[in-house]
Amino acid sequence: MQRREALKSLAVLTGGAILVPSCNFEKEEILAAYSNLKVTPAQQSLLAQIADTIIPPGKLKGAQDLAIQDFILVMVNDCVAQTGQTQFTIGLQAFNSFSKKKGGKNFSKLESTAKEKVIAEGLSIGAETTDENQKAVREFLSITKRFTIQGFMMSQYIMTEIKPYSLIPGSYNGEVLISSISNMKIDG
Amino acid sequence: MANFNIDATQQRTFQAIVIGSGLSGSWAAKELCEHGVKTLVIERGREVKHLHDYPTTNMLPFEFEHRGQLTKQIEEENPVVSKCYAFREDAMHFFVKDKEHPYIQEKPFDWIRGYQVGGKSLLWARQVQRWSDFDFEGPARDGFAIDWPIRYNDIAPWYSHVEKFAGVSGNKDGLPNLPDGEFLPGFELNIVEKYFQEQLKKHYGDSRHMILARCAHITGNLEYYKQQGRLQCQSRNLCQRGCPFGGYFSANASTLPWAERTGNLTMRTDAVVHSIIYDEAKGKATGVRMVDANTKQTEEYFADVIFVNAAALNTNLILLNSTSNRFPNGLGNDNGLLGKYVAFHNYRAGISAEYEGFADYTTQGGRPTSGYFPRFRNLHKQETDFLRGYAAGFSAGKYNYADQSGIGLSLKEQLLNPSKYGNWTVGSHMMGETIPKESNLVTLSKNEKDAWGIPLLSVHVEYDDNDEKMVKDYQEQMTEMFEKAGFTNIRVRDDHRAPGLDIHEMGGVRMGKDPKTSLLNKNHQLHACANVYVTDGACMTSTSTQNPSLTYMAFAARAAHHAMKNQRWGKI
Repeated sequence: MQRREALKSLAVLTGGAILVPSCNFEKEEILAAYSNLKVTPAQQSLLAQIADTIIPPGKLKGAQDLAIQDFILVMVNDCVAQTGQTQFTIGLQAFNSFSKKKGGKNFSKLESTAKEKVIAEGLSIGAETTDENQKAVREFLSITKRFTIQGFMMSQYIMTEIKPYSLIPGSYNGEVLISSISNMKIDG
Repeated sequence: MANFNIDATQQRTFQAIVIGSGLSGSWAAKELCEHGVKTLVIERGREVKHLHDYPTTNMLPFEFEHRGQLTKQIEEENPVVSKCYAFREDAMHFFVKDKEHPYIQEKPFDWIRGYQVGGKSLLWARQVQRWSDFDFEGPARDGFAIDWPIRYNDIAPWYSHVEKFAGVSGNKDGLPNLPDGEFLPGFELNIVEKYFQEQLKKHYGDSRHMILARCAHITGNLEYYKQQGRLQCQSRNLCQRGCPFGGYFSANASTLPWAERTGNLTMRTDAVVHSIIYDEAKGKATGVRMVDANTKQTEEYFADVIFVNAAALNTNLILLNSTSNRFPNGLGNDNGLLGKYVAFHNYRAGISAEYEGFADYTTQGGRPTSGYFPRFRNLHKQETDFLRGYAAGFSAGKYNYADQSGIGLSLKEQLLNPSKYGNWTVGSHMMGETIPKESNLVTLSKNEKDAWGIPLLSVHVEYDDNDEKMVKDYQEQMTEMFEKAGFTNIRVRDDHRAPGLDIHEMGGVRMGKDPKTSLLNKNHQLHACANVYVTDGACMTSTSTQNPSLTYMAFAARAAHHAMKNQRWGKI
């Protein structure tokens, strides 16, 4: 917590980007806030596009509008076991070549339907695959999807403006007819 | 200088000292202060003021960086406390972290602690079921441990006294093995829980019951509780954060501010009790030696009467560490039994299932309690190949799931419009009585000390054959009852958790009639040092099956009144 607070203050001082050089100065710099992941700004932006494909903007805001990529990185960096982190990192690194193979282009260059198709294919990579990169892509996408859903549904936007959360849920009723609950459809 | 010393000693002299500010200690303090007794409460942890020191109480889910989840780092640094269901991002500041206060596990034992003003009363599950003579007479009838020196009639008025002040919600169920008390209106059982209740009646007559569990929440008599600054429970179910309404009983919201208001309470926080001072010439305890948690300076405080309510195992530790010429093995420990006959509740087993009925129904709102099975096994007579039995929790719920398949706008709409009502899910967990044994014990480490120079506690507590049989019987009996009720997809579990995670550790300083076989008399005084009282979990002769906190609170109130009568204090 303190570490992140310190980094946040640093971010304010440095105008947002918190970059530290990686060991090899020829490579791109990595984001210091997610030290377990060694994520570059370019990968962060790729992750944002993937999350935004999983939950796109429509009538309501989408994942990128809510910076869900940052939530995903926080959760993977802090709450996912090391094996999962490794799969996530390898999968993220391998994702553009996976995109080229399946969609013919880097992910950011694809049309949105093609983007959806690449992600859907990645998520459905069979458990029997022996290709380590394929495995990692599948793991990376399934972790990303899980945290995109959580980050979106538990965002301030959804929990205050769309489906307001109440700290006081009201007194218990143990016998409610489902048909009596008004169900206003929310268009995405 | 001489005068200064006298003054200093006078300033550190009280009529009563209470060690520990949690559930039981705060009750002793409240009773003493209310009747004019100058009381010092010593708390090893930090101050936690009601309302002021509940930093997460009104936080919304998205305000938690990890949405409530523990980080890997915290889990890895805290293998013990991380197992506790309430140790999450919203309440972890109220738990002892593993590294802060090490102890020795001779056998695996998950010791869950809350070192702060209010202790674990901020974190407890608030279940308050009375004992009956089916419990107090257990050891004598079934031939284990020793006979309790008291019976239900001794404690019943104190149950009432505590229930009224703390606020207990429940129904009058008329069960002899789970006596009714001073109840505020009960919460509601849901349609499937009521159905199960009827099924039990149909298949088992009057021999098995599932009732609404009594819980320490305010649901009525609101004007009365306003005097304590407490309001009606709002069913937030965020109790472990500390309640901004004072809706459930905690020492912080109730007994401690009440004691403070009398002007008779002095609170000394961040003070780790080292030992109780015994004066051989006077033949009694004269005070308490403590170490300032921050400066590590030793200080002594003096009083006529000392209450030890440090939580069960720490009460054992303090008494074991209170050595003198008269008591080389610990205060009051003439028979060598101090620290022995530690027991707990067996929470290993559980069961879950589904119910396809009442498919058109669901629930709404929150409820801070659930259903409860009072013990039915071996109740009137021995009927199995194991001793005693178990209580159990029971609840049914219905959930509305969102379809998480696919990606894109279709996924988004599925998430925003959950429409997959599953079957009702039903579940239960066991709360088994364990048999106190001499071999289940705590001792002081000979070599290792904590940061305050106090020996580490070494815990040697394990399950026995009786517990194994009881786990099996619970699974079999619950499966039978679930099948008879028409529940499907029944799954039993045994999570093999270590003792301790029940957070119902008890004993070590047990009550009894005979000083040769017990440490405390029927009034909670050490047989061999009568101005020292123990009324927390350490005093328990047997565990029975009920959540024990209500009994500790009633014991503390009763013992405080005994002390005041004995000392001819106060307006009794």
